[in-house]
Amino acid sequence: MSPLSIGILIGVTTILVLATGIPVAFGLAIVAMGFLVIFDGFFSLGFVGELFFSGLADFTLVSIPMFIAMGAAVASSPAGGDLYGALDRWLNRVPAGLAISNIAACAVFAALSGSSPATCAAIGKMGIPEMRKRGYPDGLATGSIAAGGTLGILIPPSVTMIVYGISTGTSIGRLFIAGVLPGLMLTLMFIAWSMVYATRSGSLMTRDRRIFSLREKLELAPRVLPFLLLVAGILFVLYGGVATPSEAAGVGAMMCFILIAVIYRVWQPRRIWKILKSSTRESVMIMMIIGAAALFSYTLSSLFVTQSIAEWIAALEVNRWVLLGAINIFLLVAGFFLPPVAVIVMTAPILLPLITQVGFDPYWFAVVLTINMEIGLITPPVGLNLYVINGIAPDVGLPKILAGALPFVLLMVVGILLLCVFPQIATWLPDLLMGAGN
Amino acid sequence: MSDEHFIDVLIRGIHALSRACGTLAALCLASACTVVCQMVVMRYVLGASTIWQNEFVTFAIVAATLLGSPYVLLTKGHVNVDLLPHYLAPAAKRWLALFASTLGWLACATLTWTGWQYFYEAWDAGWVTSSLWAPPLWIPLLPLPVGLGILTLQYTADIFCLASRREMPFGPPVTTDDAP
Repeated sequence: MSPLSIGILIGVTTILVLATGIPVAFGLAIVAMGFLVIFDGFFSLGFVGELFFSGLADFTLVSIPMFIAMGAAVASSPAGGDLYGALDRWLNRVPAGLAISNIAACAVFAALSGSSPATCAAIGKMGIPEMRKRGYPDGLATGSIAAGGTLGILIPPSVTMIVYGISTGTSIGRLFIAGVLPGLMLTLMFIAWSMVYATRSGSLMTRDRRIFSLREKLELAPRVLPFLLLVAGILFVLYGGVATPSEAAGVGAMMCFILIAVIYRVWQPRRIWKILKSSTRESVMIMMIIGAAALFSYTLSSLFVTQSIAEWIAALEVNRWVLLGAINIFLLVAGFFLPPVAVIVMTAPILLPLITQVGFDPYWFAVVLTINMEIGLITPPVGLNLYVINGIAPDVGLPKILAGALPFVLLMVVGILLLCVFPQIATWLPDLLMGAGN
Repeated sequence: MSDEHFIDVLIRGIHALSRACGTLAALCLASACTVVCQMVVMRYVLGASTIWQNEFVTFAIVAATLLGSPYVLLTKGHVNVDLLPHYLAPAAKRWLALFASTLGWLACATLTWTGWQYFYEAWDAGWVTSSLWAPPLWIPLLPLPVGLGILTLQYTADIFCLASRREMPFGPPVTTDDAP
């Protein structure tokens, strides 16, 4: 059997196994081990324990649970609500001001938590009922939060970017910086769409006529600013190369615990323990997938699948944009079904050589890949954010939430196209701050 | 009926064990966070060199992952694609759940076995890690057979609960609120 047909067989088997509803981590592990046994014999299982362990024992991976703990700490405090309230006081008189506050709050909260569902939940819990109360159409209220929440994995620090960095051996600091401008671009596009929508259906939304004094406008700042400074600090030490991502994340997590204790009086052992438990749960889930993916990619490369796919694509001599289009569609479809981390660990090691071979920038590609994953978060069948929103506003119903999210999906596709035409959106800032080249 | 009672006690015992593992995992995570901060203070504030912290933190996170996995399985936190099950009739759904769980069990059991072999080799040969600190390698490897072993045990209990209709197939995730 040629490596390429083995590759196809592995691909099909993986899809079938994952479709049974088996946890992704164990599904990947059983496919990897199964193919090793079939093609390399039973003895090849001897290395599996060591491979699994060494896939996990990487100092850089420590940053993942640390950033998750940081996000869980912020999410468990009322910081999300304050953030949103603070923005609303500035924007309440602008058309669709509340939707704009929500999207902007999502973008900022995304930076704090690095997780899309957490962002959705934290801002949506306050934002969606308030928007509906003030006459915003249900679709816009839920769609803007669902889409705003997806920014969590693009705007740094982002857990999926760390996973990409580890699986492709690219600089995590540089990846983070590459995500900044595209994240802002998407935020602005979401905001622009909300304003267009609002002016078109104008009278539906009762505009908030209250005028806040400067004092009221600044009142919430002392509670919100420390968190923003913390994120800025993390980005600063990362791009400056002062500290490793794990160090920055560990200190960031500790600082977050201190901030929520000082600002929101969240210090009770019971509540801290709850935050720890929930971050452990999420970290374990992601780390198990990463460990299993180490087995999966070992199987692929020991059966020469990875190499022959690269050779095969190179031999096809397709136009690089056709290749990119095909990769985008592939990622989009994978993202419809699988969580971002799983898609990245499974595909990035195979895709990156192809991408760099035809002259695309790996950091730019990380951004394109991430936006593809963002789309998967707000499209069926497993759009995680949609279910979070459905949990917050069950009476709206999934079909309406979906319809509301659709314009934002299209905006993200436009975002990807813009990135293709102007790759500088992703590469300019890292080049400026960290110098050109990799 | 006393027979059935015994099984239920056993299942409760396994669940308690998985929960205890979850607690241990959370403690590992907390210790990793604390040690990272200690390391940063030592290195960047006091300008001292650090010897054991990098490795300790890395292994603490590995331990948290391996020990935490049975707890996450118990609380249905391992993410899966439940699209197909969603559209199946109850009976088919149950069979699919049994099939998926058996595959998962096989993965965990194989990992436990190879993990045990790796651990045993390190123990038997007295290997140490490659760093300056050089602790015996079997210590960080211990969570490999222990965590994965308990994970396999938890899976066994899950499959039994499914087969004996004690549990619904593809149930919703359990929130951490009701866990200790």
